[in-house]
Amino acid sequence: MSIIQRSQQWGTFARIWHLYDAKWQDPYLSAERIKMYLMGLYKPIYHPLNDCGDHVVVINSYDIALRGDEWRRRAYFHHTGYHGGASWTMAWEVHKKNPTMIMNKAVYKSMKGNLQRRYSMQRLHIFKDENVPENIMQNISNQIKQLRPVPLRLDEIPPQEVAEFPKLVKYPENYIAQ
Amino acid sequence: MAALCRLTVQASKAIFFPQSSRNVSLSAVSRLKEIREKKEGNTLIISGEFVKPKDEHLQIKNNTTACPLCATGLDVKHTDVLILSQFLRSDGCMLPRRITNLCKVQQKRVSVMVAMAQKAGLMPNLNPPSSKKDPKRRYGYKKYNTYFDEATIQWKL
Ligand SMILES: [Zn+2]
Repeated sequence: MSIIQRSQQWGTFARIWHLYDAKWQDPYLSAERIKMYLMGLYKPIYHPLNDCGDHVVVINSYDIALRGDEWRRRAYFHHTGYHGGASWTMAWEVHKKNPTMIMNKAVYKSMKGNLQRRYSMQRLHIFKDENVPENIMQNISNQIKQLRPVPLRLDEIPPQEVAEFPKLVKYPENYIAQ
Repeated sequence: MAALCRLTVQASKAIFFPQSSRNVSLSAVSRLKEIREKKEGNTLIISGEFVKPKDEHLQIKNNTTACPLCATGLDVKHTDVLILSQFLRSDGCMLPRRITNLCKVQQKRVSVMVAMAQKAGLMPNLNPPSSKKDPKRRYGYKKYNTYFDEATIQWKL
């Protein structure tokens, strides 16, 4: 076996660590992509009984973006088991308590409920900001592409660039700009 | 009595700290009219004249009868704050259609997209003075990041 083939062999069977920046990303759409890496669905050697899932490190889970008015429309259900123990919590209240929970639940829900799901979830590491422990950061060798670009804020664009942007509106001659 | 007090305080403020009632704009000054003084012998001629705006070379040429957005054929999203901010006053209000020269559909679409961008906190500097400038300091669910889908806008092109 040549050295190239041997390293190919290692690469195929090694557990790869992926990084995903959740800033301004939809957690429910991102979960579909993260799931592919967690379960190893993208690998040619994939088989349900083949333990070939990778690790995924999700950072900036505090800055996830929900669509439209979902922060106050989406409810998370919990039941204590006692009578009258049902509770519905709005997504923004869940996020206020625990900034990693929505991301965690989204990935958990995206996978099929079988015996492998709990083990796949153990390979998911979610952090609310960019402070990842050094021993985890050392393993990372790949970054997963974001689903949508992070939008720019107008006050963070340099004023020079704003002033030199092509103008669509032509003000009338006697218009007083406010 | 209180009203009288307030009136006197305001009057004294107006005397000692004269403030012009003009709105302050942070954008670069681009005068359309200028006051020019000319002296010919003993007569001083003061005239207000139109001047060409400084950013005229940035103006997009529109040779068609269509509105500026339709003519350029841009697919504007709510994250395109550099385009959307051109249709706004400095307090974030939408300019009327006689100023923007947009067609009815585009005017509606742009005003909806401006609302989307403001809700997402992408234009915090174009807001009323009383607003919280940092979107992360807004109340309750409003402080968290939100994005929108342009396909949900009622007015279609
Ligand atoms: Zn038009």
